Amino acid sequence: MLHFLRRRLLASLLTLFGITTITFALARVVPSDPAVVYIGPLARPAEIARVTKELGLDRPLYEQYVSYLGNLFQGDWGTSLATKQPVLGGIAARLPATLELILLAMTLAVAVGIPLGVFAAYRKGHLPDAGARVGSVVGISMPVFWLGLLLQVLFAEWLQLLPAIGRLSLETEVLDPITKITGFYLIDSLVTGDWAGFRDAASHLVLPTITLAAYPAALITRMTRAAMLDVLGQDYVRTARTFGLSERLVLWRLALRNAMPTTLTVSGLSLAYLVTGSFFVEIVFNWPGIGQYSTSALLNLDYPAIMGITLLGATVFLVINLAVDLLQAKLDPRVRLQ
Amino acid sequence: MRSRWKLSTPLVAIAVALVIVTVGSASTARHNSSTALLRVATTAGVTTWDPIKSFSTEVLYMANIYEPLVYANPPGSSKPFRAGLATNWGRSKDGKTWTFTLRQGVKFHNGERLTAQAVKDSIDTAAKRGGASFIWSPLASVTTPNDYTVVFNLSYAAPMTLIAASENGAWIVCPEALKAAAADPAYFESGKACGTGPYKLKSYSSGKQVVLEQNKDYWGGWTDKQFSNVVFQITPEAIVQQQALQSGQVDIAGTVPVENIAKLGKDSRFRVTRDASSLNYLGFFNTTRPPLDNVLVRRALAYAIPYKDIVTVGAGGYGTQSRSAVPKGVFPYSDSTPQFTQNLTKAKALLAQAGHKGGGFSLDLTYAAENSAEGRFAPLIKDAFKKIGVTVNIKSLLFNQQWTLAKADPKAAQDIFLLLYWPTYSDAGSDNLWSLFHSSKKPFFNLSYMKSPLYDKLVDGAGELTATDKKGAQATYEKAMVSLHGAAAGFYLYDADAVFVSSRSVKTDGALNINYPFVQFIYPMQQVG
Repeated sequence: MLHFLRRRLLASLLTLFGITTITFALARVVPSDPAVVYIGPLARPAEIARVTKELGLDRPLYEQYVSYLGNLFQGDWGTSLATKQPVLGGIAARLPATLELILLAMTLAVAVGIPLGVFAAYRKGHLPDAGARVGSVVGISMPVFWLGLLLQVLFAEWLQLLPAIGRLSLETEVLDPITKITGFYLIDSLVTGDWAGFRDAASHLVLPTITLAAYPAALITRMTRAAMLDVLGQDYVRTARTFGLSERLVLWRLALRNAMPTTLTVSGLSLAYLVTGSFFVEIVFNWPGIGQYSTSALLNLDYPAIMGITLLGATVFLVINLAVDLLQAKLDPRVRLQ
Repeated sequence: MRSRWKLSTPLVAIAVALVIVTVGSASTARHNSSTALLRVATTAGVTTWDPIKSFSTEVLYMANIYEPLVYANPPGSSKPFRAGLATNWGRSKDGKTWTFTLRQGVKFHNGERLTAQAVKDSIDTAAKRGGASFIWSPLASVTTPNDYTVVFNLSYAAPMTLIAASENGAWIVCPEALKAAAADPAYFESGKACGTGPYKLKSYSSGKQVVLEQNKDYWGGWTDKQFSNVVFQITPEAIVQQQALQSGQVDIAGTVPVENIAKLGKDSRFRVTRDASSLNYLGFFNTTRPPLDNVLVRRALAYAIPYKDIVTVGAGGYGTQSRSAVPKGVFPYSDSTPQFTQNLTKAKALLAQAGHKGGGFSLDLTYAAENSAEGRFAPLIKDAFKKIGVTVNIKSLLFNQQWTLAKADPKAAQDIFLLLYWPTYSDAGSDNLWSLFHSSKKPFFNLSYMKSPLYDKLVDGAGELTATDKKGAQATYEKAMVSLHGAAAGFYLYDADAVFVSSRSVKTDGALNINYPFVQFIYPMQQVG
């Protein structure tokens, strides 16, 4: 186990180094002038030349890269050209918003997807199964931004039941802000007993969470159903039923446990999807998270911010993959960590 | 054998949570009735909080926090300028010495007094390290004969009132902040501001939100109808701004999809505020290589462009076909400047005359991917050129890439470059006409790469006259624009209007000014009812 972990960590570090190098090279070979990003599009040649020197952009590329790596090891991810703020600080400020959304969406997807998948398999060929299958096809095929806009029109514009954008109403943000402790508004408002803040934050989470959860919920439903159908056809399940075990026990303890490796893999992949899927959701709902930061960085060709986001994204993917592998081994004795 | 299916508890829990949250949101909606708070959705990000360096979209906030010496009035006003931090101004006969008398009793947001020395420090710093430092090129020195008089000594005659009224690089900053920024260049960046304007910066969340609060000591005073707090929600997508407006989450949407503006205007809940702006859409022909090095070909293409359709599609009708690179309402605009209109017969004839009967060549057109208007109208140019036998390959690039490629090597660059341009201060002669078409050793904004000694002479001559003989300058610039029309180095599409949509509960008179194209002034806005 330790040997496996050591190898994986080493491989992960090498992967991160490779990604950093490639991203740095790609970001800098793109025809674009970072000094113009820094100073603004109408600056004149003298001002651009001054900024180029100030930012060290007149130094050879390899020197800039070595300097970047050196700073990276000291926890300095550079300064955004577009916002003039430290990249790490910018990411840290937005991470809680994205994580809150992703974790809720994942919880919703699992909470809906697994029971629905089990139910559909249990009632195979009946109406609930057909409903689950149609629902999952819709969930998988509907573009996330389209679903988001539809929900906004229905619940925010027509019914006026839920807010269309943001994490909090502007009145709450300006006149009665939630005390920030973790940056997760639901937790912070609960901890401080701010019920109005909690309701406000929760109401803002409903539409983006449903939008983001739609695809993984549909995927988990389908894969759980398929895995359950396979397991329910096995001899040991028939034997268990013959011995008079309750259906609940057969389904939830016996069959689902054996179907879980498939569900777990899909859930892991879905979590990775949520990281990128949240980009679209954040744009549609003006959610001030990493997705918005990334979009802005890409559109501005803000290479220090692009580097930071890439590094963060790669790290998240590597950690999720590692976690899924470890869980697989824990759940399925046939899997050996080598 | 099978037991009855029971719904899992998580599903029930989610359903209950949804109900609770929905009920909760209703109470939140009731909370949305604060009258002192103005809620604005805007695309304007902040690239810097340093008012000296600022040269981008953050001008929206700067203009509500800081003030210049004078403000340029919109066309049709009784006077070209109105008092800002200066109440009187005048110039010497030769236009090289300008004297400004300061308003007395003005305090900066930190309590410091506005003095001539504070103005001198701001201007000197802007001239030295400003993002738009070039506007102060004529400035030789600033002197302060007394606490309330500032004298600008120029090395050549220049329209100093226009320059001092600039949207960029002319804000007066408190001495304490200037000193702090000199010691620490990143001083402002965490969200600090210190001006004399009606609003103070209360808080800033990068990429998300800017909150301003009333400067109670503002020299202009306050009425009960004005807004004491303003929150700008940075919302990059126009359609998302519209959703926020329609769901009552914001009072003003700074940018909504142009095709939806008319519909919103018919809705009794909303008000559309519209004024001319100095934003000018144009295109450059690459004059350095065949076939566009032939003026007849360029004129043919200029006649093929569907200008009216472009105004309709690009601006949703909220714009006017341009006459030149000078936007309507900005010096030295002239109604007598000749204008191309679509005439395909004439275009075909000119192509034939140039030896390209039936077209038969292809051109690369580049536009800025982040500019949705250009994305909408570029295909119209392609379709129109197809009718005269010319193929257009459209390339969408981020502006920074588009511009970097265009500046690199004219011979290898695009054939047609679409650009949105605006003057830094309200002199489109010394800016638009000079920057966009005056010859230069290395290309910068002249992306037609035209080199015309006659045009250069006219524009240079007019620039020298602007401060002392504005009529003479106007006449000379008009000749330059006629010469530009003849050369057809570029084509002038439209001057876009400034448009925003607000709730009927906000009175927006005075919010827009053509001389400040990226600004909505909050101070004149009032609550209705």
